[in-house]
Amino acid sequence: MPPLTLALIAAISVFLLGNLCRLVKAMLMPVHLRWDLYPIPKGPRDRQRYGGSYFEETEWWTKSKETGLGGEVAFMLKEVFFLRGVFENFRALWIWSLALHWGLYLYMAAAAVTVAVSAMGAHLFFGRTPLLNAALVACLTSCTLGAIGSLGLLATRTFNSRLKNFTSHTTIFNLSLLAAIFGTGLAALFDPNRGLLTALAEVAAGRHAAAAYSAAIDCHFALVAFFLVYFPFTHMTHMYMKYFTWHGVRWDDLPSRFDEGGPEDLAKNLARHVSWQAPHIEGGPKQSWANVASSTGQQEKTEHD
Amino acid sequence: MIKIEDIARPAERLTEVDAERLAPLPPPYDGADALPPRKRLTEKARANCDSSLDGFLAVGMARPQTEAEERQLVERFLAGLDRLLSPDDNWTFLQQLTLSLDHCARCQTCVEACPIYAASGREEVYRPTFRSEVFRRIVKKYTKRGGKLLAKLKGEDIEVNATTILRLLESSYRCTLCRRCAQACPMGVDNALLTREIRKLFSMELGIAPKELHEQGSALQLRVGSSTGLKPRVVKDTIEFLDEEMREQTGLNIHTPWDKPGADVLLIHNAGEINAWPENPMAFAIILEAAGISWTMSSDLAGYDSVNYGLWYDDAQFARVAVRQAQAAKKLGVKRIVLGECGHAHKASMVTADRLLSKEFDIPRESSMTFLRDIVLSGRLKLDPTRNNFPVTLHDPCNMVRMMGIVKPQRDILKAICPQFREMTPHGAENYCCGGGSGFAIMSSFNFEDWRFLVAGRTKLKQILEAFADCPEPETKKYLCAPCSNCKGQFRDLFHYYGVWKKSGILYGGLVELIVNAMSDLQTPYIKWEFH
Repeated sequence: MPPLTLALIAAISVFLLGNLCRLVKAMLMPVHLRWDLYPIPKGPRDRQRYGGSYFEETEWWTKSKETGLGGEVAFMLKEVFFLRGVFENFRALWIWSLALHWGLYLYMAAAAVTVAVSAMGAHLFFGRTPLLNAALVACLTSCTLGAIGSLGLLATRTFNSRLKNFTSHTTIFNLSLLAAIFGTGLAALFDPNRGLLTALAEVAAGRHAAAAYSAAIDCHFALVAFFLVYFPFTHMTHMYMKYFTWHGVRWDDLPSRFDEGGPEDLAKNLARHVSWQAPHIEGGPKQSWANVASSTGQQEKTEHD
Repeated sequence: MIKIEDIARPAERLTEVDAERLAPLPPPYDGADALPPRKRLTEKARANCDSSLDGFLAVGMARPQTEAEERQLVERFLAGLDRLLSPDDNWTFLQQLTLSLDHCARCQTCVEACPIYAASGREEVYRPTFRSEVFRRIVKKYTKRGGKLLAKLKGEDIEVNATTILRLLESSYRCTLCRRCAQACPMGVDNALLTREIRKLFSMELGIAPKELHEQGSALQLRVGSSTGLKPRVVKDTIEFLDEEMREQTGLNIHTPWDKPGADVLLIHNAGEINAWPENPMAFAIILEAAGISWTMSSDLAGYDSVNYGLWYDDAQFARVAVRQAQAAKKLGVKRIVLGECGHAHKASMVTADRLLSKEFDIPRESSMTFLRDIVLSGRLKLDPTRNNFPVTLHDPCNMVRMMGIVKPQRDILKAICPQFREMTPHGAENYCCGGGSGFAIMSSFNFEDWRFLVAGRTKLKQILEAFADCPEPETKKYLCAPCSNCKGQFRDLFHYYGVWKKSGILYGGLVELIVNAMSDLQTPYIKWEFH
């Protein structure tokens, strides 16, 4: 297999494995106490609009709870494709951030279509040319938006008074990396010998010779490979970890009485050992959370009469 | 501009609260000369404690005197960090903590949502992200493999020394945990949660917390039954005396039942009401009796005090109080617990304790807002809204509204009984904190009250004044309905500080007082229009 194909496969493997590890780690966390935050996109639409909850219902504990994901998905789509939160709270950042995010989405779409068309080969009887043309337009748009977005964000992060104190070396590095990826992507798209997507199709099919590509294409693939390896170790994983921050924490409002696994989770948690050292905790190697919760933290000396 | 890494650097003050830079208030509250003189720290406090964050002290932890003491402090702090990241020691909030540590994009989208940051004139140390970023960098540097080297390479190096620790501790008490910033965060990161976890580290590892929350708060509650210090015999005597007074005042036969087995409702008040605003528990008694509810109060440990200060700083104390309250209800065999007008008690009992109580102790817990809404709208009380024909606005307690979604019931009541009800802007789940959240309302050590009034409560005060902008004159008596004991404590002190009763004629009080004031059976108005 050609080295470039190998490098990209290795990078994609690290990407998938790294992200999988993060996901598994998050999923294996102990069941936590509730930390709801409203509005929660569940229940009747009118109630969602003003941020109400089932606690407003008479004898809420006697009524079934909505567990459907429709409202959550609708909310998330607005967040993912429109960056609703940034739009409402920080407009100067939003325009650049939106451009960068759409650059990434379109890039992924263009790459996926190109690789899929390449993989289908002769089996794709119709639509090959329109699909490749669409991928080309998407790739061109993505690199343009991505480059504008990442450079705009770099400038905003550097000069905006609200941001500059929080712009670390890592932020500069990440944005510069993205700007370089989209910049080389643009250059590679206009390579007179072989365009970026053609090269990608060849690499995906393992049909390329290393020397055949321009510096722009080689550089672009190298940067993409690095990005894929780097991504799982950055905060950019927020892309999918939002599932936990939103769905798993602030929207996780299911009362334990409606949760079949609740008693087992609770028993597991209460059996955990407490080693906090403050005197009032009365922790220690043999102290469980159940013991601590049933004590008063003052050697059982109560003055209650 | 103050840099994040400045938290560790020696300086007499990182920042000062400059009255001229604070967000402006409308007349007659504008101008720094309208403010009372600031309280000065005592010589002893200045000598022993580190007030170099902003010149204020909320906790006032003693500064280490020797290098050995400082080393020990640093070691214990770092041990606490490890425990915070341990599934055994911190199963309660580990997931929320790690998500908020790992996924902040430092985009600052959240900062303008913070009423404290806005009120302060955008002081860097009060940014909701400032403390979080300090903490995040410390966690990464001291708990991750290769953290020290990476911190240097990334330019995110913060040294953990006594100055850092003492400033971080004080800084964790410059946030009311209102979670407006979390609402604004596009990643779902929660700065308030990080703040609470910092407080928890100090309390659960080093035994350091504001004395009002711990010694005089949860520890006292677990020792004698209530954070007010009221023992059962005293509280029963007090309520009996108040019943008698109510009978005389209203002509109604009020008798608060205690420890009645099998009652439909166990009513648990914030016991602070009994001392500070007895008209509130008495109004509850009048309503419940008039509506023919089978109810009781409990004299068991923590059974007559709904507060649970552990919610703000300590999981062990939180669990202990939650368990005691559930045990009291279980013992009486009541059908449900109804929580009085106390926001954090609502959240502690109905939300946070939900995954802490086993099935046998999971007695249904209901908000007094829905409970009262059902009584008022059922027509069981004879109500005359014209008795409440004065301007009324509603404060939304953060714990009850933003963190529980109880928004509409209290509005349904007010719309039914207060013809001049008007909303604040913003309101509901987007409300502003009163400035007394997360325990601040009861914290008055050192010079902390000045900060509480100058900065923490400023945005709310402005909002209240704006709600009554059509009738600013003190002659028109106005009512701020605050169905939360801690919020009322903050309003009492905040209004006193700014002279709001005299200058604007705004009285604060609960929801039940308005309901009773509208009851046609009463000969005289229940609301006395006396500021206390």
